[in-house]
Amino acid sequence: MSAIKQTSVPVFSDSVAAPFSGVSRLSARTLGFYLALGAALTFFALPIVWMAGIAFTPSGEYVSDSLSLLPAHPTLAHFEALWRDGFPGRLANTLIVAVGATLLALSLGFLASYALVRFRFPRRLDHAFLLLVLVIKMMPPIVVAIPLFQLLKGLGLLDSKLGLILVYQVYTLPFCIWMLLSFVRDVPLSLEQAASLEGAGLLRRLWHIVLPLCGPGLAATFIFTLIMAWNEFLFALLYLSTPSHFTLPLYVSNFITENETFWGQLMGIGLLSSLPMLLMAGYVQRYLLRGFAMQMK
Amino acid sequence: MLFRSRLQLLLLMSPATLLLAMLTLYPISQILINAFSYVDYVGAERQFVGLDNFVELSEDWFFAGAIKNSLSFSVLASLLQVGLGLALAVLFDRQFAGRRFALPVIIYPMMLSTLVCSAIWRAWYHYDFGFLNNALLSLGLEPVQWLFDPDMALFSVMLVDIWQWTPMAFLIILAGLQSIPADIKDAALTDGARGWRRFRHITLPLIMPQVLLALLLRSIDTFKLFDKVYALTGGGPGNSTETLSLFIYKQGFKFFNLGLASAAALLMLTIACALSAVYAWRYVGAKS
Repeated sequence: MSAIKQTSVPVFSDSVAAPFSGVSRLSARTLGFYLALGAALTFFALPIVWMAGIAFTPSGEYVSDSLSLLPAHPTLAHFEALWRDGFPGRLANTLIVAVGATLLALSLGFLASYALVRFRFPRRLDHAFLLLVLVIKMMPPIVVAIPLFQLLKGLGLLDSKLGLILVYQVYTLPFCIWMLLSFVRDVPLSLEQAASLEGAGLLRRLWHIVLPLCGPGLAATFIFTLIMAWNEFLFALLYLSTPSHFTLPLYVSNFITENETFWGQLMGIGLLSSLPMLLMAGYVQRYLLRGFAMQMK
Repeated sequence: MLFRSRLQLLLLMSPATLLLAMLTLYPISQILINAFSYVDYVGAERQFVGLDNFVELSEDWFFAGAIKNSLSFSVLASLLQVGLGLALAVLFDRQFAGRRFALPVIIYPMMLSTLVCSAIWRAWYHYDFGFLNNALLSLGLEPVQWLFDPDMALFSVMLVDIWQWTPMAFLIILAGLQSIPADIKDAALTDGARGWRRFRHITLPLIMPQVLLALLLRSIDTFKLFDKVYALTGGGPGNSTETLSLFIYKQGFKFFNLGLASAAALLMLTIACALSAVYAWRYVGAKS
């Protein structure tokens, strides 16, 4: 603690110190700041550190000595057990469904948000459409779960990846439209006007002008939507029934509710299934701020 | 110049519109019909019964409990998340060593699947071996029945939600704080406004739209609560953590009581719309 304080005080006082405040008062405030920061970091990080520790702890050791965070005798036994138990298949299911749902939402959402920004709608239908999108965003998904079950049954898509990709659009499509709207707005209209005067049609303008300029926005939206679909639980629970078709959140839930004592394996799945998202978290954080700033416009 | 071609507009809009109509407008119309019907699941027959389903719901103490739990969870959890998020955002609205590494750590939980969060916390809440009770014991305190005490269970679920989603409130409010122009901050400093007074009279009014947005998004999300109670308590003990989502799930997918489930879903949709309308109105009001 003292080491942290010593190295950090100069940085902090450079930026914040007001000319009048005394030295003792400043260091008390600095100490308070780092105490609060330390408490916050502990609260948010400790459960994740604990999960990682348990995933490498041999069964039986975590019962006797559960306050330690790191295993005394690290083991890969839980991961081997998971590998044999069919984890790779569930990972593949999740990947296909999440990427499929994201790509579908991104392409339909891109076309729609382009039209909403650039086209004149008859009778203010664009406002009606945006209102619908907003209502869907607010709607609890369980409300439509029963009719969707019957819809999927009628289409013969129950218990299938395609069916899940389809119903995930309840979450992903409104989100994509909302996010992409502001990115498309940032593309200068003049570029398209010039291209249009030279005879470029809709598809060429979309492909050669709007799409490349929306690149970063599309990437950020892709990642957010992917995380959303990757972690989805309710629809997977309701519409999948064959264990080999399960996605990872559903696979985790089976371990929680039935085999509560296999903590090592449970935390192993937790770690493996969230690792890709955790790795992306660092990358997307600057987009996160921008994304929320845009939702307010 | 806006583009005017009706044909192109139709081509661009119809895929998304058709898909959304199929996935939401059609289901909502079905809910509207089923809510006033007796639905025989096996024979796939429907019979109009007027308000019977709603009368049955009003006499169902499980449903009353679910409404009470969902609303109190939503109000309390979203207020706590926004309050904590605000405090965190003020903490992070400055430069300090290691900020670049501290920020991702804070937002990790919201990247996790709710089921993974629930798995961690279910292990932590374990009465005999759980991390929390071990910590309490080592401090010389009594262990707590986190998930099996009816008065405690809803708060234990709430703590998990606070852990997972405070980061979202934090990010929204931080975005607001960082968009305050530097000259306003400087002007406040030269006027001698410092500490709590400066926060209360200058900073807080400026970030009010973001605070309200965070409150809106979090209260709507907490109102939907399903995954955590499904994984942590299953609605129990008794009905102490039963929520509206869980009630509809059980009626529809366990007891195949489609009429009753649809009536409950219709009520839930109404509450969610009313909630968002109130906030949208307040939010627009705060903006102008």
